[in-house]
Amino acid sequence: MFEARLVQGSILKKVLDAIKELLNEASWDCADSGIQLQAMDNAHVSLVSLNLRAEGFDKYRCDRDLIMGMNLKSMSTILKCAANDDIITVKAQDNADTVTFMFESPNQEKVSDYEMKLMNLDQEHLGIPDTDYNCVIKLPSGEFARICRDLSQFGENIVIACTKEGVKFSAAGDIGTANIKLAQTSSVDKEDDAVDIDLQEPVTLTFACQYLNLFTKATALSPRVSLSMSPDVPLVVEYPIGDMGNIRYFLAPKIEEDENN
Amino acid sequence: MGILGLSKLIADVAPSAVKENEMKNYFGRKVAVDASMSLYQFLVAVRQEGNMLMTADGETTSHLMGFFYRTIRMVDNGIKPVYVFDGKPPVMKGGELAKRAERREVAQKALEKAEEAGNVEDIDKFSRRLVKVTKQHSEEAKTLLKLMGIPYVEAPCEAEAQCAALAKAGKVYGVATEDMDALTFGTPVLLRHMTFSEARKMPIKEFHLTKVLSEMDLTQEEFIDMCILLGCDYCDSIKGVGPKRAIELIRNHKSICKVLANIDKKKFPAPDDWPYEEARRLFKEPEVQDPSQIELKWTEPDEEGLVTYMCGEKGFSEDRIRNGAKKLAKARNTSTQGRLDSFFKVLPTPGSEANKRKVPEKAQANKKAKRGGGSYKRGK
Repeated sequence: MFEARLVQGSILKKVLDAIKELLNEASWDCADSGIQLQAMDNAHVSLVSLNLRAEGFDKYRCDRDLIMGMNLKSMSTILKCAANDDIITVKAQDNADTVTFMFESPNQEKVSDYEMKLMNLDQEHLGIPDTDYNCVIKLPSGEFARICRDLSQFGENIVIACTKEGVKFSAAGDIGTANIKLAQTSSVDKEDDAVDIDLQEPVTLTFACQYLNLFTKATALSPRVSLSMSPDVPLVVEYPIGDMGNIRYFLAPKIEEDENN
Repeated sequence: MGILGLSKLIADVAPSAVKENEMKNYFGRKVAVDASMSLYQFLVAVRQEGNMLMTADGETTSHLMGFFYRTIRMVDNGIKPVYVFDGKPPVMKGGELAKRAERREVAQKALEKAEEAGNVEDIDKFSRRLVKVTKQHSEEAKTLLKLMGIPYVEAPCEAEAQCAALAKAGKVYGVATEDMDALTFGTPVLLRHMTFSEARKMPIKEFHLTKVLSEMDLTQEEFIDMCILLGCDYCDSIKGVGPKRAIELIRNHKSICKVLANIDKKKFPAPDDWPYEEARRLFKEPEVQDPSQIELKWTEPDEEGLVTYMCGEKGFSEDRIRNGAKKLAKARNTSTQGRLDSFFKVLPTPGSEANKRKVPEKAQANKKAKRGGGSYKRGK
C-alpha cells in the first residue's frame, strides 16, 4: 500500500508543470524515504531528477518499494482538475496497475478521485557522480527565467561565463548580440533577491536555450535557483522545493567541433 | 533484398531490441548509409505524376534530387552521413540476381500489357518495378556528394557488409539501410527510415544487435544460420521452414549442420547442393575494405560547383540548390550538443534487478533515520 497526502496540493501541480514538457513519461520510484523520479528527455541531452522526502508530506506511507510508470501528459490532465487549495492524496495498492489521485477541498465538502492506468517503462537510469563544481551561482529564479527568455530571442545558444567579477549570460544571432551581466550582491536587504557566487575557478560554457527555457518552468516552485558549473561537465540547475526536497535539471553542454570530425 | 521476414521476427521475439526515435534525436551521430539501396529507393520513389524526374534531354535526375534533399535533411538534423556504394556483387549472389532479372522480364511484359490496356495504375506499378540502378547513376551521385562535402566509401563488394564493418570499428554510430541483412553482417545498430522523405513522418527505427541476440538467446553464429534459414540473397532456404520454425530449429540444434541431421527430410527437403556454408562465410568474413584505413572527412560544400553541376548540367533550380548549400554550410559551423550518456554512466539494467538490489539498502538506511524522526505514519 502506498499513500501520500499533501495539504498544499499546489506543490504537486507545480512539480508536474516543471517536468511535463521535458518528459513524456517517467517512473516514480516510491520508497519508505520518499518519492524520486529520474528521467532523460528523448534526445538524452537533459535529465530531470526530482526528490520529494517522506517528511515533507502530511501523511506518507509506503509499505513496499513501488515503481509507478506514468504518462505525464495524462497525469497533468488529472492534476489540472485539482484546485490550487485542494489537498491532494496519491494512493496505490502494492503491485497495482493503477494509481488514484484524490482531491479534497479545504472545507472537506468536495471530494473527487481520479484513477489512472500505470505503464511499464524500461528507462535507463544514470549514475550521477558527486561533483565539486568550480562555480555555483545562486540567484532569484524569476531573474534566471527572464534572462533565458530574453536571450533566446537572439540565438539558440546561451553562453554562461562566470568570473570573480560576476556572471555573464550572452547570446548571438542574426539580429545581433545580447549580454546580461550580474554582479555579486554586496548588501543583502532581501535574501531572496541576492545574487550569490561561489567561485573556485572561472568557467565558460555554452548551452541550448531551448532546454534552459524548459527548466525555468520550475520557477513557480521556488524563489531561488542555483546553477552549478565545471568545465566540460553538465550544468546543474537546482530548484529547492520548500523543505521537502528539490528538483534538479542536468544539461549537457554544447561541444565545439574539432577538425577531424 | 535482405533477410526474409527478419524485422517482423525481431518485433515478435525481441521487442525491446527495437526503438523508435525522431530524426532530430540523432544529432551529432555519424551514420553509414547504404548508397546503393538509397539510389534504388530514390529512383523508385522520387517521381512526379508517376514519371521519374528528367532533364530536358531525358536524363534521369530522381536520384540526384533524392541524394541532395535527403542528405540535407540528415545534415540539417545534425547527422553526419557517409555513403557506401556497392562494388561487384559476390559470386554467390548470381542466383538471386538471375531471379531478379527474371522478375524484371515478367514486369516488363506486364508493363507492355498495361500500356496496351491503358491502365494508368498498372503502368505506374510495373514501371517502378523496372527501375534499374546503372553505373552512371552512382557516378553522378558520387559527383554530387563530393560537391556537397559528404564522404563516401566504395565497398569492394557488398555495401551492407562495408557499412557493418565501419560500424563495428566504431567509425560510425550505426548503419542506415532498409535491408535487414546489415544485422547479419554484424552491424551493432541498424537504422531504418533514415532516408525517407520528411513528408512521410516516419519515425526512425533503431535495431540493436546485442539486444536482438540476447533476447533471441542466440550467438552471432547462430543468428547468421537462422538468417540463412529465413532466406537470404546468397542461397535458397528449406521449403516449409518459416520464421517461427527457423528460430526454433536453431535454438534446439545450434547450427544448420545439426538441423539438417535432425530434421525430417521428407517433410522439409533441403535444397540439393545447398551452399549454406559458403553463405555463412560471406556473412562472417565478407570482402570489405579495412575500416581503419578509411578516413571520413566532412568538408565545406562547394556552392558554386553545386550550382554549375546541378543547375547547369542537370536543370535544377538555382535558388533551391543555393539554399541547400547554405544549409549544409550552416550545419557545419554550429557547435554540437553533447549528450548526457557521455558524461554519466548508464546503470546496468535499470529495470528490475538493479532497482531491487539497490532499494532495500536505501530503505534500511532511511528506516534508521526515520526512527529518530516522526513515526506518524505507522498508525495505519
